[in-house]
Amino acid sequence: MSRKRREALAAYAFLAPDTLGLLIFVALPMVLAFGVAFFKVDGFGNYQYVGLANYKLMAGDDQLLASLKVTAIYVVTFVPIAFVVSFALAMLVRNHFKGIGWVRSAFFLPNVVSLVVVGLIWQFLLVDKRGALSKLLAPLGLGDVSFLGTPSLALGTYVVISVWFLMGYQMLVFLAGLKDVPKDLEDAAEIDGASSWQRFRFVIWPLLRPTSFFVVVNSTIGAVTGLQAFDLVFVLTKGGPARATSTVVLYIYEQAFTFNNMGYAAALTTVVVAILVLCTGLMFGVTRGGRFDED
Amino acid sequence: MVATLPPARLSRRTLLGAFAAVPLLSACGGSSGGDGKEMSFWNFYGPSDDQGPQSKWFVDVVDEWNKNNDVKVKLRYIPGKDYLNGTTLQTAFQSGQGPDIFLISPGDFLRYYNGNVLQDLGAALSPESKADYLPGLLEARSVDGKVYGLPMEIEPLAMYYSETAFEKAGLSEADLPKTWDETLAVAEKLTGKDRYGVMFETLPGYYQNFTWYPFLWQGDGTPIKDGKVAFDSPAAVQALKFWQDTIQNKVAPRKALGDGGGDVVSNLGSGAAAMQQSGIWAVADMRAKAKNFKYGVIPHPTPAGGKAATDLGGWAFVANSKGKNPEAAAKFIAWALGSTDAAGIERQRQWNTVVKTNVPPRKSVQAAADAKGAFDDGALKKFVSEIAPTGKPEPRFPPEVYQPIADAIQACQLNAADPGKAAADAAARIDTFLKTYQGAPIS
Repeated sequence: MSRKRREALAAYAFLAPDTLGLLIFVALPMVLAFGVAFFKVDGFGNYQYVGLANYKLMAGDDQLLASLKVTAIYVVTFVPIAFVVSFALAMLVRNHFKGIGWVRSAFFLPNVVSLVVVGLIWQFLLVDKRGALSKLLAPLGLGDVSFLGTPSLALGTYVVISVWFLMGYQMLVFLAGLKDVPKDLEDAAEIDGASSWQRFRFVIWPLLRPTSFFVVVNSTIGAVTGLQAFDLVFVLTKGGPARATSTVVLYIYEQAFTFNNMGYAAALTTVVVAILVLCTGLMFGVTRGGRFDED
Repeated sequence: MVATLPPARLSRRTLLGAFAAVPLLSACGGSSGGDGKEMSFWNFYGPSDDQGPQSKWFVDVVDEWNKNNDVKVKLRYIPGKDYLNGTTLQTAFQSGQGPDIFLISPGDFLRYYNGNVLQDLGAALSPESKADYLPGLLEARSVDGKVYGLPMEIEPLAMYYSETAFEKAGLSEADLPKTWDETLAVAEKLTGKDRYGVMFETLPGYYQNFTWYPFLWQGDGTPIKDGKVAFDSPAAVQALKFWQDTIQNKVAPRKALGDGGGDVVSNLGSGAAAMQQSGIWAVADMRAKAKNFKYGVIPHPTPAGGKAATDLGGWAFVANSKGKNPEAAAKFIAWALGSTDAAGIERQRQWNTVVKTNVPPRKSVQAAADAKGAFDDGALKKFVSEIAPTGKPEPRFPPEVYQPIADAIQACQLNAADPGKAAADAAARIDTFLKTYQGAPIS
């Protein structure tokens, strides 16, 4: 066997466990879920083929529409805020200074804690009248504000908690991207008289486009189906108050495990996946996959 | 091996995977042995280190049975949060791997009955045993006169109040509210910088509905009457309005501490609420975790012209008719909860008044517990003699009925919705469901 073939073989061997795992535990369930969507499943092992009935049901489902709206609002607020905050953090800790390791770790720290624990800690901070935040705000006459119990505030509170939770991770991604920006390009721009804003706008920003693209796509998917869209809501408000935080994944979960409508839940899942694929495709199209301009 | 999917850690991957991974997961958690000689018993008490004496009661009961019977019972502990809101039980039944014996709440009764998985316990139950249950309790777990579940306890709801909070506000026992209006007025006096005057459950879900029904019943309302929707009624509107008033008047919290309305230790016990609606289980909680806290219990306050009412919660043992040995499972349940001999009564007395604080569901057990002074404690006495007799068993509404009601409660309580419109909307949704519903009668 030639060296090249041996290396190729080794590569496939190393990839095999992961590929198999993904196939069995992600791809196969997805395909099966798509199949289940055409059945009425009663939760006791009985399947009845119903064609597109589960999809037709969606048209008259006001609560589905409401939960899609909740998720949409969450996405369009969370994604940009998380982007700006984590990018700013990355710029802040980009250059070496004393104790930088500590600072970077501190920003990343929330990410290593279980979201359930994160939720409980925030609940403690935010609880009506007695939470630390209420105490802080009391002198301003805002001691009575219930951040998780008021429909108009609850979703915004989740945005803040999830930005805080995820900013460290996205910061790391940006830092990795920033490391790839050649220092000489920046130096050359500086010698040519570019201000720090111009260096950022015309050198760093364009070169960071693939990273930015990755972050936006990743956090959009995360905001729709990720841990923060389910775990946090499940632990803290169960979709309340008054359905203000009933995200679409929570709604799917309810349909599957409260109402025993497994078929309908599977159909909903395929729709959410389709919407995500569409959104991602659109982003790919608009940014040409986050490629460099000259490519 | 125990393969649970803790709901709180459910990720996108597992959610998508859940639909297909069902057989895989439940295959690990399903009943072991296929010869009908060992039955699985899923519950949220034991064996578990956290559940202390309650776990021990389950373990002891099963040991006792296993000593004297060929067909053994094997306990499997599922943490309460997963049992109530998780996926373990549902996925197991979906894949035909459900437990032989399990615990069921009234809200799940019809779902499992209509799924044809509940075993008729009649053959295993003696007439004396049936007659020993308090009126209404077996009926709530029966269809067409056949009993499908035996209640293990009765858990009535009432209002707890903090004596300290009342004293601090310069109030006395004479000020304890008897009506809704008095409740709002007294709560206003009790509300301060760090404390709310009164507290009801605010988290949406099955439990919140359970705690709200008494206020509906007080005005003679009911969601369903003779198989038809009856929710759009003055009784529902006033009950929705009452809970709304507590929030609008800023005398009740929008978000509770700890585990919410059922958690008296974290709320009343911490001083965060001066009055709190909760169940009889809190007496045991307070004994264990806030021994020196001074509190009392009063019946739910009533609306003008209304009557006293409470909700009698209670879980039941049920057997899986598609399990390995449904007859033996039924026998186990009848023996564990329904035996009328001295040992059987003692077992029940232990569960209801020693390891937990419940109202015993059987007359003989109540008498035995009374003889041992179980209800001498002020709060328990009130529950047993004054509050429980005004109660109705927890309704067995399926999710399609309780969800619209839950939405109405949430919208009014926390989003200032118009109670009249909310009640009408909920009624319309329930009506749509009832038109196509074909299962056992909903009550």
